[in-house]
Amino acid sequence: MERHFIKELDALKMTLLNMAALTRRALEKATHAYLNRDEKEAQTVIDGDKEINDLELQVDNISLKLLALEQPMARDLRFIIGTTKISKELERIADQAVNIAQRSLFLCQHPPLHHIPSMERLMTIADNMLDAAISSFINEDFQQAIKVRQMDDMADKYTLEVLQTLVEYMVKSTPVAEKRLLNTNRSIQTIIISRCLERIGDLATNIGEHVAFIVKAINIKHQKIDFE
Amino acid sequence: MENSQKFITQHLNFYYGEFKALEDISITINQNQVSALIGPSGCGKSTFLRCLNRMNDLIPGIRVKGSIRLDDEDIYAPSVDVVNLRRRVGMVFQKPNPFPKSIFENVAYGLRVNGIKNKKVLKQRVEKSLKQAALWDEVKDRINESALGLSGGQQQRLCIARALAVEPDVVLMDEPASALDPIATQKIEDLIHELKKKFTIIIVTHSMQQAARVSDITAFFYMGKLIETGDTETIFTRPALKQTEDYITGRFG
Ligand SMILES: Nc1ncnc2c1ncn2[C@@H]1O[C@H](COP(=O)(O)OP(=O)(O)O)[C@@H](O)[C@H]1O
Ligand SMILES: [Mg+2]
Repeated sequence: MERHFIKELDALKMTLLNMAALTRRALEKATHAYLNRDEKEAQTVIDGDKEINDLELQVDNISLKLLALEQPMARDLRFIIGTTKISKELERIADQAVNIAQRSLFLCQHPPLHHIPSMERLMTIADNMLDAAISSFINEDFQQAIKVRQMDDMADKYTLEVLQTLVEYMVKSTPVAEKRLLNTNRSIQTIIISRCLERIGDLATNIGEHVAFIVKAINIKHQKIDFE
Repeated sequence: MENSQKFITQHLNFYYGEFKALEDISITINQNQVSALIGPSGCGKSTFLRCLNRMNDLIPGIRVKGSIRLDDEDIYAPSVDVVNLRRRVGMVFQKPNPFPKSIFENVAYGLRVNGIKNKKVLKQRVEKSLKQAALWDEVKDRINESALGLSGGQQQRLCIARALAVEPDVVLMDEPASALDPIATQKIEDLIHELKKKFTIIIVTHSMQQAARVSDITAFFYMGKLIETGDTETIFTRPALKQTEDYITGRFG
């Protein structure tokens, strides 16, 4: 006979995975909406945020109940604590996706800026980081969990490149005052998008750290570990 | 808090006839701490506990190998006075087992065995022990009534008072709350927290939650072996071995 508690833990895991899938989808849609200047898609990201928020509450409720009623220990305890932390990170990632979607909506109203290769790289790396973080949770894979934060340097690098590119553009932009205002505005909105992506990298890094804690019971936060 | 070593066992093996009930147990029990022994039933917890005050000696056909030192003295050395050892290492059992005598006589029993006759001294020591066992207020007005009239939880605290009366260093408790209701259990647990200030306590419990609540050190036994021992907090949040983790999360066998 399968233990009731194990079933409840599985339900908690499924709720979190559901949340993770929606969050990843939100990020993909937001970046897609930016790249393709698709207002409709941007709007679906904004509209979909409530579902993710609701799932976060659901994770909290299940966790609280299990802590109170089952008095879990060891790995089970770490799993429940870790899950609530991961859900918080996912919720913030989804908020960043909403922010990207809102900036994209604004950018869609105006002619496009020139192509910025670093931005596309940044989008890819943020998506890869989130994907790796979620997979490490699914597979309970410590190595994969710590890999996430190793990708973070790249995310920071591309973010800086986006910033440099656009600052240069703003400085060199047209002497016509009206046009300059618009260019500055579009540039800043785009820089904000890059900042959101960089934050998503940080939050995905946190998820990896929570997974490391669940799997190996070691807190790798704020410290390097030997084999990194 | 003092952390001096009270008991040290080294390579302890214990046999009931041909059956090896304990295998190569090496563990250190610190003074003024509560050490909990956990593990599935039949893994040797009670056997180990009874080695520590040589209660097993009463069973025919037993053999002990390896060493058990109490305050750096081998308790199985020929020179050891077993009566005195059992005074220093008291024991409380699963089922409260008061004698069919008055409350007073139950607690005074061990004192009389140890030759104390002075009425005044007896009275003082009985009162002190009942206070230490958090029972005094409940029984002070009926100290001469039969102990059998007490509730199960009170009887168990009486047995603790009886163990404390002879001023032991160590108190062994073998599932002391398993026959009690939750409120009586909680009283015993609170009492254990109090008692460790003066005594060293080793408790066998089948309740993981109880071990987590009352102990400083937890030792996990399985099939006669000591699998893992460590700070209770560590054992219950991040045990080193998968076997321990599986047991305390109920995924065993
Ligand atoms: N008096 C005895 N004679 C023979 N075997 C015993 C005796 N007492 C216990 N055993 C055996 O020793 C093993 C350990 O028992 P015990 O110490 O009571 O385990 P626990 O307290 O962990 O449940 C068990 O297999 C049990 O059957
Ligand atoms: Mg037993």
